[in-house]
Amino acid sequence: MRLFQRKNDLSQTSEVRFLNEPYLIINIIFAGVILLIFLYSGFFSPDKDSYPVICIHEKITGEPCVSCGLSHSFSLIVRGRIEEAYKWNTYGMRIFLFFALQLVMRVAFSYFYLKYPDTRKQLIIADCFGSGIIFFISFWPFMVSIFRSTFYV
Amino acid sequence: MEEVKNNSGQNLGIAALITAVITFVLAVIPCVGLIAIIPGIIAIILAGVGLSHAARNNSPRGVLIAGLIIAVIASMISFSQIFVVGKIAQKADKWPSGLNNIINDVQDKVTKDLDDANVSIKIESNGDKVEIQTNSNKKENEQTLEDLEGGNKVKADSVNKKNETVPKKNETVPKKK
Repeated sequence: MRLFQRKNDLSQTSEVRFLNEPYLIINIIFAGVILLIFLYSGFFSPDKDSYPVICIHEKITGEPCVSCGLSHSFSLIVRGRIEEAYKWNTYGMRIFLFFALQLVMRVAFSYFYLKYPDTRKQLIIADCFGSGIIFFISFWPFMVSIFRSTFYV
Repeated sequence: MEEVKNNSGQNLGIAALITAVITFVLAVIPCVGLIAIIPGIIAIILAGVGLSHAARNNSPRGVLIAGLIIAVIASMISFSQIFVVGKIAQKADKWPSGLNNIINDVQDKVTKDLDDANVSIKIESNGDKVEIQTNSNKKENEQTLEDLEGGNKVKADSVNKKNETVPKKNETVPKKK
């Protein structure tokens, strides 16, 4: 009885502790969002071409933009058709790797956050900087495209 | 009870931060960049409400401020895409620019003026002077044509009143004694 009560108390305290840690909640939600992106890529078939997202640029100008074919590319990468994915969008693999790496990072950083409570602050700073750098490397072509379109078109 | 109040602000901060980061990722993808303004505004509202809660309860604001800053930057990037789309559309001649509208207006005005234009040509050669005057008043010409054809009587009367001094072809002018 005492053992059961102790176990119950432990689970309650861990739950409270978990809810009081915004970093862990953020990590879990981000991991969920990334998983949803992968599920979306797996759910929609590249052969049927029934993606719900429409490119506004293509609709207006009739010409594809830098990010056109990204959903196609993701779907093909999920199915292991890498060469075809490159044809659909050159930067598709880069973006996909960013999301995959982020998924791994969310799990890994959450684990280290719980295991080494003394280094939490350093861990969050490292996560912010690391994720920021990876984000800029992955999305750089898109950002350059937006910048050029805004100032040079 | 106090802890619950603090948590409410904190939860809003987490929600704002997550929404802001998702907005940021969406904003830098040209295809869906414009749509990102919606979660951007939501994130700003969440962060604003969270900050007001935090100010009341003296709870930490780190997550809220981070969420607000990221949301504002992401919304700005997303908003800039409106100009990008506009510029590309202008380039593609599918979005009439202000200049095009002005040109169209001027063209319409000139065509309208030409319809009611009076033209006079003067030629002088070796002391001889020839003057040709004509007007391209469409309505008046049409009315005169109708008069000549003897179509509409009412209209013919009005023309007669207008040009009382001008005798008609068939009318006989009384001779002065």
